[in-house]
Amino acid sequence: MGKFWSLVFLSVPVLGVAVFVAAASWGYWFPQNVSAHGGQIDHLFMVILWLTGAVFLATEIVLAVSLWRFDGAKSPRARFSRGNMRIELGLAAVVGLLLVFITVYQLEDWAEAKIRQPDLPPTVEVNGRQFEWVMRYPGPNGELGDADDLFSPGDLHVPVDEDILVSLVSEDVLHSFYLPNLRIKQDAVPGMRIPVWFRATETGVFDLVCAELCGWGHYKMAGRLIVESRADYEAFLTRLEAEQNEDGFEEQQPTAANTSQRHPSVAEVVYRRAAR
Amino acid sequence: MTTISPSQTTRHRRGRLRRFSSALILAALFVASGSCSRYEPPPFRLNLEGLDRTEADSSGTLRYSDEKLQQIVDATTALFGTPDEPFVFEETELDIALLRRAAGPVSSDEHGNPRGLYREHCAHCHGVTGDGAGPTALFLNPYPRDFRPGVFKFTSTHQGGKPTDEDLRRTMVRGIPGTAMPSFALLPEEDLDALIEYVKYLSMRGESEQLIFPLVIDDEEELDEDILLEEVLEPVVGLWQSSTLPQFVVVPEEPRPSDRAASIAAGRELFQGERGCAKCHGPTGLGDGTERNYDMWNNKKLNLDREDVAARWSLPLQELRPRNLRHGVYRGGRRPLDIYRRIYAGVKGTPMPAAGPPYGQPARSDAMPEGSKNLSSAQIWNLVDYVLSLPNEEHPEIASAERPAESPKAGSPGGAGG
Ligand SMILES: [Cu+2]
Repeated sequence: MGKFWSLVFLSVPVLGVAVFVAAASWGYWFPQNVSAHGGQIDHLFMVILWLTGAVFLATEIVLAVSLWRFDGAKSPRARFSRGNMRIELGLAAVVGLLLVFITVYQLEDWAEAKIRQPDLPPTVEVNGRQFEWVMRYPGPNGELGDADDLFSPGDLHVPVDEDILVSLVSEDVLHSFYLPNLRIKQDAVPGMRIPVWFRATETGVFDLVCAELCGWGHYKMAGRLIVESRADYEAFLTRLEAEQNEDGFEEQQPTAANTSQRHPSVAEVVYRRAAR
Repeated sequence: MTTISPSQTTRHRRGRLRRFSSALILAALFVASGSCSRYEPPPFRLNLEGLDRTEADSSGTLRYSDEKLQQIVDATTALFGTPDEPFVFEETELDIALLRRAAGPVSSDEHGNPRGLYREHCAHCHGVTGDGAGPTALFLNPYPRDFRPGVFKFTSTHQGGKPTDEDLRRTMVRGIPGTAMPSFALLPEEDLDALIEYVKYLSMRGESEQLIFPLVIDDEEELDEDILLEEVLEPVVGLWQSSTLPQFVVVPEEPRPSDRAASIAAGRELFQGERGCAKCHGPTGLGDGTERNYDMWNNKKLNLDREDVAARWSLPLQELRPRNLRHGVYRGGRRPLDIYRRIYAGVKGTPMPAAGPPYGQPARSDAMPEGSKNLSSAQIWNLVDYVLSLPNEEHPEIASAERPAESPKAGSPGGAGG
């Protein structure tokens, strides 16, 4: 039996590695990176993947070898051991050093992504609510949070190759603002206004999704990130502004009055029938 | 302590393994039999709440025999089919291909076109029947729209008018801020078309059911197709068609005034005085007026005891709160044109009255200033400008805490995602 189980457990690291190799060679890997900062995030991901991968393989192989060698059928007597202090301390030190290494190694990238907020006014407010993303752009006066703000649900437009500062809020519950192509993921917390920044390097239409289970409609809480040239971005804002200020006045009034009478409503029909 | 020999443990383990695998097989069989069980198509729910005459008698049973109720179901089905198999007469001008796209269970046809869009996107709130009582409805305020009375709050049409396709599309694409209705802007055009058609279908069906009711209960008529077409479908479809014609759409007679400050001041006068807006919306526009209100969907539940409401409605009575005009959240749209239309034609189905004249009648003009209670186009623009100025108006009586905290400049890094 010991040999059988040894092989079963050995299949876990073998299949695990195979899945990664197959996924990478078939193209099921990261979505296209269009962020100036995304390369560093991907690099960190790979470093940690190699580290944890190595530890994972080592543990699994030790497990399989132990099962093979110490088969219960062959050596039925267990031996009690208090462990080996030196080995344990050594292992703890190695793990500790690895964690310290990761901490130091990623400091610069963390600061870039979460601490060194670019010194510019917010480009857009993104408001998460069950179950949509509503964007709010500064109006013509360039200030966010006043009467001329422009609202647009679903689509987040940003100009390419510029620093973007998103002001992230939530209207109801926890959401998570996730832009896979920009390697951006940030919780939106009710009552907090959280700054998020990035710089998109390529034009195109990309996914904006919610990455925090926020209710039954979480799966459909999606939007689009539209990265476009400065000119297109400004044209979009102009369009939005014209639409939002629409007063509907037309020089040529539709030929009104008395061309036809309105039909009675159902309530009126019921009422008349009852009165009959 | 008992000692167990290795051979015993092995036997013991084998027995467990066998039991485990037989349990697995049983579970697999159970799952397989479940997936083969027949699909039960859901019915349209009979509308027992739409008419006041469905009152229960003293013993608590409904006054109408199953036979009568079945007649109503049959007649409605003859006109509109079932949730899985929609059917419409040509007179409705509804596109059956679009309806099929929206109706039935969620799936796709042999060309990969979606089916069951309504159940995929709408039914959990609005219900299979379109009664606004889907599984999530109870938790929402306001409740999801009940399509069956055929009344829609946010339309571009005059008093009593139905929504145009464009109105329904706008609601779906923009969502309704301040309510649970999200934006469906990412749906393909064709899916939106299908859902708009299906919403109209559910409304026409619900209204027809209301008209069939008295025919069966009071008139005891033999319902043949001619009677159904003439007495039921004709009035229902007639209103949908006539009230969504281009001339039935509210179009401002003059542009928005360019002198914004003067317009706001005039609007404040009207709001606080003559128009009585403050009664519901409160003198400061916080939606805290003295009037208690209910919309038409909840109005019928008034003066009934709770059990009666529970027996006939799926959802308990819900009070209508007048809009807080300082939040800057506009359910029917934030364009000046949207607010103009809300004031001109009222918010349908709610106590918010129409300030403009009914269709076909002239608005108040200089020639007859006191002739009617209607407001002129210019006066409505004044109100629009005043209402739109409220979210940013400084008011000594309102603590800043009551205004939405919208200072995006504040905010420091923190709460980083985990
Ligand atoms: Cu969410």
